[in-house]
Amino acid sequence: MEAQLSIIDLIFEAGFTVQLVMLTLLLASMASWYMIVQRFIYFRNGREEMFEFEERFWSGIDLSQLYREGNERAADGRIIVGMESIFRAGFKEFSRLAKQSEMDSEAVIEGSRRAMRVAMLREEERLEKHLSFLASVGSTSPYIGLFGTVWGIMNSFRGLANATQATLATVAPGISEALVATAMGLFAAIPAVLAYNRFASRMDMFLNRYDTFVDEFSSILYRQAYALRARDRKAG
Amino acid sequence: MNLSIYAKPVTPRIVLRPALATVLLHALVIYLLTANWSSSEERILKPKPAPKVINATLVDAGQLAPKPEPKPEPKPEPKPEPKPEPKPEPKPVPKPVPKPVPKPEPKPEPKPEPKPAPKPEPKPAPKPAPKPEPKPAPKPEPPRPTQQELAEAARQEAARKAAAEQAARAAAASAELAASYASLIQQTVERRWSRPPSARNGMEVLLSIQLIPTGEVVSVSVLRSSGDTAFDRSAIAAVERAGNFPELKNLPPREFEQNFRRFRLLFRPEDLRY
Repeated sequence: MEAQLSIIDLIFEAGFTVQLVMLTLLLASMASWYMIVQRFIYFRNGREEMFEFEERFWSGIDLSQLYREGNERAADGRIIVGMESIFRAGFKEFSRLAKQSEMDSEAVIEGSRRAMRVAMLREEERLEKHLSFLASVGSTSPYIGLFGTVWGIMNSFRGLANATQATLATVAPGISEALVATAMGLFAAIPAVLAYNRFASRMDMFLNRYDTFVDEFSSILYRQAYALRARDRKAG
Repeated sequence: MNLSIYAKPVTPRIVLRPALATVLLHALVIYLLTANWSSSEERILKPKPAPKVINATLVDAGQLAPKPEPKPEPKPEPKPEPKPEPKPEPKPVPKPVPKPVPKPEPKPEPKPEPKPAPKPEPKPAPKPAPKPEPKPAPKPEPPRPTQQELAEAARQEAARKAAAEQAARAAAASAELAASYASLIQQTVERRWSRPPSARNGMEVLLSIQLIPTGEVVSVSVLRSSGDTAFDRSAIAAVERAGNFPELKNLPPREFEQNFRRFRLLFRPEDLRY
């Protein structure tokens, strides 16, 4: 018995509360790891797509051509996210407003900027999905583990109250059992905190890029809107 | 599609890879934890045998516990038939073996011998033997009572055997324990013994030492002098300098009363060259 005191045995011999705590922590750990990997893949893909799109955008391609390419891809069933979706929102709004001749150039720019702002908020929402879960796992699971440990130690000492001879061997298994809960809490919390910090800074990076892009793109739209209105006035 | 921006936000589904990675990671962690734990546990246990005292108690406790279980098994089997055989046979086997042997304190002997003796013998012996005998013997006389008696006798036999074995084992264990503590005391005293220049090979002084359960020396007296007072005094001084043997606190009280309440220590400078 003493020779084979494995962690598995400890877990199965633990009290109900401690087992419940351990189960919670295991689930929290699994969920947070799922989200960590998922976020990692999403951020990596998003980064690649963003760089690709920026390259294409500044390559001097016709913007309506770029928009049409996006249309084709969306028709294939692909979801367009990131910088391209901001571009599409802004461009669509711009072309829609520019057709209405009663709108002056300021109003057109203002409208497309607002559409881009909305698209950016959507993007932000996508980026920070699951991050709050990671944050709460990172901050609460040590406490949950600690609760399991305190509970387990409490019980093992209470069992000791009836024993006439209190040796280390009578308390040790209970404490060891209880400490497994703390270990699991830390095991769940550490990656969650690290991942949260990393993803939060990544998200800031993305949002800064998007902001810059919105400004750059609206300066282009300004130029186009004024040119359009000037042509209209000359014709009209 | 045009409304996609204002609709419910759609995120690309990334499910399979994270789920796989999560399951794999947790499986790996659990595997590593269990593997590491058992191996480190072994490493901790290995040094344990080094102190003889702990080893002796642990081994005996482990063997005593499972013993009662195998004994009930031979009981039901001999019940129906075997009556004359088990009585004469098992008696001579276990009794002479453990009784004289364990007292001089040999660890290896009582362990291997009692084990094979009770297990294989009751089983094969009753089977071939009873077949020829019960037929002529019990039939003329009332067979039922004899069978019950036999069963009871066999049970008592087994119980007695078990008791004897346990006693022998306990005796061996306690002898072992006592010997290990005695050697501990001897070493402690020896370290503090500075022999006078008058010490010669062949000199012997026998001391009687009285201890209390905390391991403190209460009194030392000379039982048999060596004839050289300086030598006697050096031996007494060695014991007094040692003062107490705190290790004895770990000894069960019964063992202490039996062996160490009052015990003798022989001083003999064998390693001297002159």
